[in-house]
Amino acid sequence: MREHQTNIALGIVFGFCALSSLFVPPVAAQDEIPAEVLELLDATGEDGAPVLSQDQRNFFDALPKHAKGLLADAVDLEFISNAEQVRLLLSVGLTAQEMELLLQDNCILCHTNPDYQDEATLFTTGPEAFGEHLDLQELVSDVHFRRGLSCSGCHGGTPDDEDMADEIYERWPDRDERAANRRWVPEFCGRCHSDPGFMRRFNPSLATDQVAKYATSRHGVRLLQEGDSLAAECTSCHGNHGIRRASSRKATTHPTNVPATCGRCHSDPEHMAGYKTRDGEPLPTNQLEQYRKSVHGIALLENDDLGAPACNDCHGNHAAMPPEVASVSQICRTCHAANGRLFDGSAHRQAFATNGWPECGKCHGKHDVVKLTDDMLRNEAGGMCYDCHAVYSTQNPECQATATYFHGTITHLAESRHELEEQVEVLAAKGLDVDGLTENLSSLEDALRSSRSRIHSFDRSDFDQAAQPGIETVHVAESIIAGAEREHRSRQRGLGIAIGFVGLVALALVLRLRMIESA
Amino acid sequence: MNPEPVQESKRGGLLGWMDQRYGVRGLFEFLSHKTVPVGPHSMIWYYLGGTTLFFFIVQILSGLLLLLYYQPGEDTSYETIRFITTKVPFGWLMRSVHCWSAHLMIISLIVHMFSTMMLKAYRPPRELTWVSGFVLFALALAFGFSGYLLPWNELAFFATVVGTESVKATPVLGHWLLEIMRGGTDVTIHTLYRFFALHVVALPMIVFAFIGLHLVVIQRQGMATPMRKAKRLGAMPFFPNFLLRDLILWLLCLVGLLSLAVFWPYGSGIPGLEWELGQKANPLMPAYPGIKPEWYFLWIYQLLKEFPPHFFGLEGPQAAILLVGFLLIIWALVPWLDRKARHDERSPAFSDLGISAIVFIAYLTLKAWDIGGGGHGSVLPDPGAVARVCAYWMLGLAGIIFGLRFFLYGHRWYWLSGAAMLQVVLHGVVGLSYINAGFIALGLLAAGVALSIMRGGSAARGSEVRP
Repeated sequence: MREHQTNIALGIVFGFCALSSLFVPPVAAQDEIPAEVLELLDATGEDGAPVLSQDQRNFFDALPKHAKGLLADAVDLEFISNAEQVRLLLSVGLTAQEMELLLQDNCILCHTNPDYQDEATLFTTGPEAFGEHLDLQELVSDVHFRRGLSCSGCHGGTPDDEDMADEIYERWPDRDERAANRRWVPEFCGRCHSDPGFMRRFNPSLATDQVAKYATSRHGVRLLQEGDSLAAECTSCHGNHGIRRASSRKATTHPTNVPATCGRCHSDPEHMAGYKTRDGEPLPTNQLEQYRKSVHGIALLENDDLGAPACNDCHGNHAAMPPEVASVSQICRTCHAANGRLFDGSAHRQAFATNGWPECGKCHGKHDVVKLTDDMLRNEAGGMCYDCHAVYSTQNPECQATATYFHGTITHLAESRHELEEQVEVLAAKGLDVDGLTENLSSLEDALRSSRSRIHSFDRSDFDQAAQPGIETVHVAESIIAGAEREHRSRQRGLGIAIGFVGLVALALVLRLRMIESA
Repeated sequence: MNPEPVQESKRGGLLGWMDQRYGVRGLFEFLSHKTVPVGPHSMIWYYLGGTTLFFFIVQILSGLLLLLYYQPGEDTSYETIRFITTKVPFGWLMRSVHCWSAHLMIISLIVHMFSTMMLKAYRPPRELTWVSGFVLFALALAFGFSGYLLPWNELAFFATVVGTESVKATPVLGHWLLEIMRGGTDVTIHTLYRFFALHVVALPMIVFAFIGLHLVVIQRQGMATPMRKAKRLGAMPFFPNFLLRDLILWLLCLVGLLSLAVFWPYGSGIPGLEWELGQKANPLMPAYPGIKPEWYFLWIYQLLKEFPPHFFGLEGPQAAILLVGFLLIIWALVPWLDRKARHDERSPAFSDLGISAIVFIAYLTLKAWDIGGGGHGSVLPDPGAVARVCAYWMLGLAGIIFGLRFFLYGHRWYWLSGAAMLQVVLHGVVGLSYINAGFIALGLLAAGVALSIMRGGSAARGSEVRP
């Protein structure tokens, strides 16, 4: 009985709560926001339209309570006092966490406020941000900002400072002074990036030997030992306020952007004026142009094949060095290992060493490696073997014969493959079984690829190991084709016989009909 | 109870033995007296039902041989068809013959149906012959649709996805029908199982029944005579004179069929009339654009495309399916609608109905082939150019047909076919949308017919005079 009463009492209480909740208005998010903040959020421009777009307003409304509180604090302290500034802060596409980071950084808050800054020191976004302004969008995309390191990390002071600390002026001399001598830059970045203990807190897998390597590079030697401030330092390649990981498509160090990044200096004749190669020749500035047309450049820049080498894959990056004659072939071999091994066992290796020729580069070039054709093997003027042998090894009929054999065999395989492809289509259209031919075609493809590679041994018997299976495949394919054509002929013959038989029966019926009808 | 004593027949031999027991003599008597009308009219139309039957018999025989090796299944359908065409002796021929014969059967059937329409052979007492023929036509289309999926290749798979999709547009029952057809919400191997069962068991049984009915009524009633000439005709014995002629034609059909099958084993190369096996179906692949059904479904496919997404409160495809259903019902009911022909009077409106059906279907089919659109590879054809070029083709075709009708057959009633051609011109040449062009043509047709009825019914009476 008592239990029953308790249930009723509980029911009444719950019912009352539920009912009352209908009448109590929901706690409006707006109510918690101070009036000054609302004023900024609802401000209108000169044309009477709201300064904040609906998207920006929605972004603000979706911010967690804590972030909204931080914004209110900043307004309270008058770091934020301008509706334009609020629009800028809400428009750079940050996550809630990043927004909280930004709202606790007085440097950014003060420097985005047009009430306090002049054109030279105001951070904005968009096209007007270039030049004297600093682009806030770049700044918040910077890997350092995203890891929690903001202005003070490099410039000094702390994010809580309410004024510019003296330390900032001491650490950062005038811009002209900084530009005149760039030797301080590697050391400056190295304060953190060369300290494994410090770096572990942010990115444990990142190497910390960049400055040490840089010191050994041509860039490093010129800057640090010879005091040449035109030589590239950290910021030349990585930038400064928009540094991104190399895996980011927008990074200057992303593989597809590396050629342009290097080219900024190396393709600029003015910048490169006065620099000489080891032989005393002026350093060329056409590498980027050549690279863009090369197989590597086309693969990387046009086909977006990130496996293709950019500048740094051959020259290194922090330890950038021009490869020397002896090391060129080692660099090529990082990808083209099999061809390198074949070349090592060939007669050419010694001859190339004697003449001081770069192994791969002698025939294929370096920045301008072009797409290969079988005609490069042709034993006549214009063919690669012929042209070189005509100068350096004229009295060698065996070489001539080998080149002719290579060229003849590879051309035969290539033409056979082409014919086979056509035959497969023709036979398939006739309804004949081409399964066997399709298999042959793929093994011929393999043989052709392998033969083209094996010419790097410059040895007939080695080449034949790949070429002979191809030639046999061609024979087998030809016999399959002949069989299929026989089958096709026999089908037509069979049809002829069938038509003849049916025709005879029909004729007999016609005669019979005539007999009946004439009777 | 003792069985009835066997009555002694006058004749001995097998026939006598059979006659004693089953009374087959009556049948032979009937056959030996049966005749086919002969006269100044062309007899060619009398043979088309026979050729359709011939191709159907070929279908049964070649299908039976394919069935010896074909196994339906996710891992076997495509593989066994490949095996049949490449390894089984004469397997390639069987598939090729089966495919060619299917298309020839449908061509023969359609010509048979239209000739019946134009000659008004459906008039009493042959209403049931027409309706059973109409059912056989629908069954033949069902045969084509179900058989197309069985090789389980890419093209068939996606064509079936698109084809069954259009069933969804059927009002009220759409979704239910779709799931019944597909055996689920998507086209899967279960769809193939039911298509297989339909194709090799259910449809043949139903078709046998209807062919039986169709043949029995034809044999009972004899061949239809041309209108208003019944009394002036001679007669040719059905057995053996007509039957021998039929057989000779069948042999010629066989020669044609074998030649096509040997020289073009994968079909004609015209979209909708080819059956290259290609790749195995992969339900996970996205359907590529330009998937089209077989040629005899193209007009429905194109009509579905011509309708806007929403049409008078209906979804576009729903409206299109309703229209197709409405037209087919009219077609099936022609023997009752054509009241003049019932009384052996001229009915020029129904001759014109047949021609307008040809114009309507031919234009949609030409358009579905994207003739003159300049599309190739990834370049999509230009619909405006397709509509225009196809309209020019239709103008040429209509010139020939209308000229023949006017000068050779003396037709003077062109309201329906005229409206159909007007729609073609308004859409293809003037550039109106297909639907708007159709409305204008229908409006003018209604106004014209109303006007001529008010003027004294001259249009309705017509004058179909042979020169």
